Amino acid sequence: MTLNVTRRHFLAGSAAGATMLLGRPAFAQSKTLNVLSHLVHQNVLTKGNAGDVIAPWRETEGAEISWTTLDSNPLQDRLFREASLNQTDFHVGYVIDNRVTPEIAGLFEPLDSFQAADPIEDFDDIAAGLRSAMTVGGKLVGIPVRHATQALFYNEALLEEAGVGAPPTTIEELVEQAKKLTFTSKAGTPVVGMTLASDLAVFPVMFARAFGGDFIDSEFKVVPNREAMEKGLSVLADLFKAGALPRSYATTRNDDMVTWLQQGRAAFGVLPFARFAQLNNSEQSAFPGKIKAVAFPGSAGGAEMAAVVESWAMAIPANSADKELSWSFIKAVSSKAVTLGAARNGNGPVRVSTYADAEFSASQPLAKIEAATLAKARPAFPAFPEAVRAQATFLEEVQLAVLGRKSPQEAVAAIVERVTPLLPA
Amino acid sequence: MQARIERLRRNLTGTLPFIAPVHVMVLGVIVIPSLFVVWLSFHASTFGQAATFVGFDNYVRVLSDSYFWRSLLNTVIIIAVAVHLELVIGLGMALLFAAGLPFQRLLLVVVLAPYAISEVTAVAMWRFLFDPDVGPVTVAIRSLGLPPLDWTFIPEHGLALVGLLTIWLHLPFTFVILYAARLAIPKDLYEAGKTDGASPIQLFRNITLPLLAPAMLIAMLFRYIFAFRLFSEVWLMTQGGPARTTEVVAVYLYLEAFRYNSFGTAAATAWIMVIISLLLASGYIWRLRKETAANAH
Repeated sequence: MTLNVTRRHFLAGSAAGATMLLGRPAFAQSKTLNVLSHLVHQNVLTKGNAGDVIAPWRETEGAEISWTTLDSNPLQDRLFREASLNQTDFHVGYVIDNRVTPEIAGLFEPLDSFQAADPIEDFDDIAAGLRSAMTVGGKLVGIPVRHATQALFYNEALLEEAGVGAPPTTIEELVEQAKKLTFTSKAGTPVVGMTLASDLAVFPVMFARAFGGDFIDSEFKVVPNREAMEKGLSVLADLFKAGALPRSYATTRNDDMVTWLQQGRAAFGVLPFARFAQLNNSEQSAFPGKIKAVAFPGSAGGAEMAAVVESWAMAIPANSADKELSWSFIKAVSSKAVTLGAARNGNGPVRVSTYADAEFSASQPLAKIEAATLAKARPAFPAFPEAVRAQATFLEEVQLAVLGRKSPQEAVAAIVERVTPLLPA
Repeated sequence: MQARIERLRRNLTGTLPFIAPVHVMVLGVIVIPSLFVVWLSFHASTFGQAATFVGFDNYVRVLSDSYFWRSLLNTVIIIAVAVHLELVIGLGMALLFAAGLPFQRLLLVVVLAPYAISEVTAVAMWRFLFDPDVGPVTVAIRSLGLPPLDWTFIPEHGLALVGLLTIWLHLPFTFVILYAARLAIPKDLYEAGKTDGASPIQLFRNITLPLLAPAMLIAMLFRYIFAFRLFSEVWLMTQGGPARTTEVVAVYLYLEAFRYNSFGTAAATAWIMVIISLLLASGYIWRLRKETAANAH
């Protein structure tokens, strides 16, 4: 049998195909919301103990969510680029609090009118400090959705092995224990007392705050307490010299810290509370259930410790096409129910009420400590146009001090001298 | 005259549709973006701000920045060492292969393999091998009682490791060019040389080296230009650390553009890189032209 296609058949077939294509809008009626975020933002809404907590919104709106996920820095870069165009396909973008300068805030839609017309459920329940970080020039430009408050994680099994009965309550005890825990474990693993990433200001700032110091305060004063910063850097340099920080400190990144703790290669590490589940995941960790956390300790008799908190917020690019749909999504994600569900999936909840939820508190062993730490926490430094360059300069001097190439005093003097000209006039 | 113009018009009408797409592509992909970068290099520009004209200020800022000069010095050191070592090793290997080796095809695959590996994979592999605490190579060096390659702590060691990685990744390029050029040398010349009683060293000096010289120059020229753009190896291995001591020019540019969002200084850095690359290449191109002209006579 041969297939004989004549010109008439071809034309008839083409006409039938075109008619079928014309019918396609019936399939394409559902809306698509394009979100630009980190993978973790997608995961906490769609996977975990609470499951797909954004599914009800999708059903109600008849909309699909198309996620584009990137690592933090490339994500911010892409979002700002998209928001700088004449128009963007993205409806919602996730921004980090310390990147929202007045110039950047201008790229996003002010949300006050949306909040006035169609308010988010119990908006005041969202931590005040996180809301204020997203209010620039009196305008609300982002709705906080996730916080990462730093905690001190420790490997209970290694502490027991080294004869340490309890985690430290002061920074002095932490140093002592970290040195004691720099040993070879029974399993034959070389253990370092502490692992810290060297590419984020979070860690040296935590050590400075333990002595009552800071990097840049809310009034844009660089190193408001020099002595405290010098003490913080001295402690880090001392740990490195004693081998209690890894030799690879200068190339250690956040993910390395997770791996080192999971493998029992480090006894202590500073990471957000939200990492608890990952660190104790039996499929990844050699010490499931043994990696615990406490609030990062301050100096004995020193000022009250304020941990570093970094928060993410959802924002609508000013050049976005369908802002009503964007707001509908933001409102749904910010609701009490979704905030609680996302928290059960591993998100750092921005609502105070989430921590008060009995079921959540019972399922999250760190909930109480996290809530208490969050109440006193503040960002590593305020947002300003040259903040990223200031952080890089700060980290460079910190590395020089920790590696022993400069004294802490010289490093602190250089930080003040080099960072001050970068601050807003 | 009228007829010539008419013929030219007819020729253009006939050929323009065929060559126009290439011109449009070159214009769109190279010329216009380059002109935009020139324009950008004379403006202060970042996200959320309109670009403002600043004259040569961006160039002055880059050229007066000690980090730029340090990154340039690091780049020059890595290029000078890596490119010349690649040339020597590549030449040696090309001569060995041309002389004939057992399992030659298998060995050829082994030698070319690094070129088939993505840079990201290669760096991840090398980071694991040279991990300062548990890397197999580090452990082996330690067990032999040799001094460790402390690349995360000592900047010189970091640069040395980046140089080694660069050589490993790009050696196949130099090798392939030299091997092909060596195979193209007629056997008759060697036979004539041997008949005249020339030693192997004389054959190399008087036949191989002069006839391979143009290929060597081309390999070096390309490698200089490619190596000047060195980025992935440094960024993925050390990120320019500790404390920016192993930074190279491309990393400096990346930080300005994509971390500090200072597009004007990044554009100025890019043009400075182009000018330095052209200067590097000009000497070799001049030599190549001279040799080509000499061979033509």
